[in-house]
Amino acid sequence: MMEYIDNIPIYLQIKDILYRKIISNEYELGSQLPSVRQLAVQFSANSNTVQKSLKEMTEENVILPQRGKGNFVTEDPEIVEMLKEHIVKEMFDATYDKLHSLNMNDSEIVASFNKYINQREGSHE
Amino acid sequence: MSDLLKIENLNYKKNNKAILEDINLNLNSGKIIGLLGENGAGKTTLMRLIAGVNSLPEGVITVDGATKKSEIKQNVSLSDQLGGFNRNTKIGDIVRFYQNVYPDFSESKYLDIAKFLELEDDKRLSALSTGTKGKFIIALALARETKLYLLDEPLSGIDSMSRKKIISSIIRWKDDDSTIIISDHYVTEIASLLDDVIIIKDKTIYQVSSVEAIQEKYHLGVEEYYEQVYEGSVSK
Repeated sequence: MMEYIDNIPIYLQIKDILYRKIISNEYELGSQLPSVRQLAVQFSANSNTVQKSLKEMTEENVILPQRGKGNFVTEDPEIVEMLKEHIVKEMFDATYDKLHSLNMNDSEIVASFNKYINQREGSHE
Repeated sequence: MSDLLKIENLNYKKNNKAILEDINLNLNSGKIIGLLGENGAGKTTLMRLIAGVNSLPEGVITVDGATKKSEIKQNVSLSDQLGGFNRNTKIGDIVRFYQNVYPDFSESKYLDIAKFLELEDDKRLSALSTGTKGKFIIALALARETKLYLLDEPLSGIDSMSRKKIISSIIRWKDDDSTIIISDHYVTEIASLLDDVIIIKDKTIYQVSSVEAIQEKYHLGVEEYYEQVYEGSVSK
């Protein structure tokens, strides 16, 4: 069962999850997405909601509908790269603002981030 | 999208006491809608009126163009709490009863849903756990091939595993152009399923809103919004 944040529209949350799957290459460039019904079951959501997520993803050129066949992930790596930058920026925005509110300046933030990565167990090289 | 259900100026009294007053509603096809209201707010009564089970003293209900009670009954699948069957009845016999009574009952659809929900034909009603009975009620209701389904508190009192299976079967077996109304007084678990919610308060429809509008306009979850409506701390 999906755990949703209850005050954010579901279609935005589904879109976000699908974007992360595309960025992490779980859905590869040019591959076909599951059908609307399959996604609805997977996300415990209404098919109208899934349609709305897919519509926005289409408008943002991340997926391409093919008549009678379904939806396909773009074959353009630059679009996925831009998507990745956008999501990474969003994550950093939130963290940066929080650190800044602790009265840390930029060099302190960078230093503490480096220290964090070095001390982290199970680092990802 | 077309008008599937239209209710005009419905008033309903029981023993001279007003239960529902001045109900007006228009619903399109192809939606999943939550009918919310506290216990005793009139959710079950409204469903029975829409389904043509209770006689309508005042007002007009139109379902897919039909206004006659007998025609409406054939257009609406209302979940049956199975109180009319002897406790020793085998569920397979209830399925055959449904096949005889409702021309739109699809045996193959029932078998698919029953398989998914792991229902066994030879079990007697009295031997079903609350969860299994809830699954059976849903399988019977969804196996009819019609435009409007009314599911009256399908998750009430049901264990969480069965609830998940019931929710999943609603998503799997809903036709794109049919509409399902689900009543409940606890919404969080079904919020992700719903296009719209109808909130009943003070004997009438307080509001019909899309779930998305509640999230975007008030930055609240449906459950929270609904509670605040009952407390009178939000306005439309």
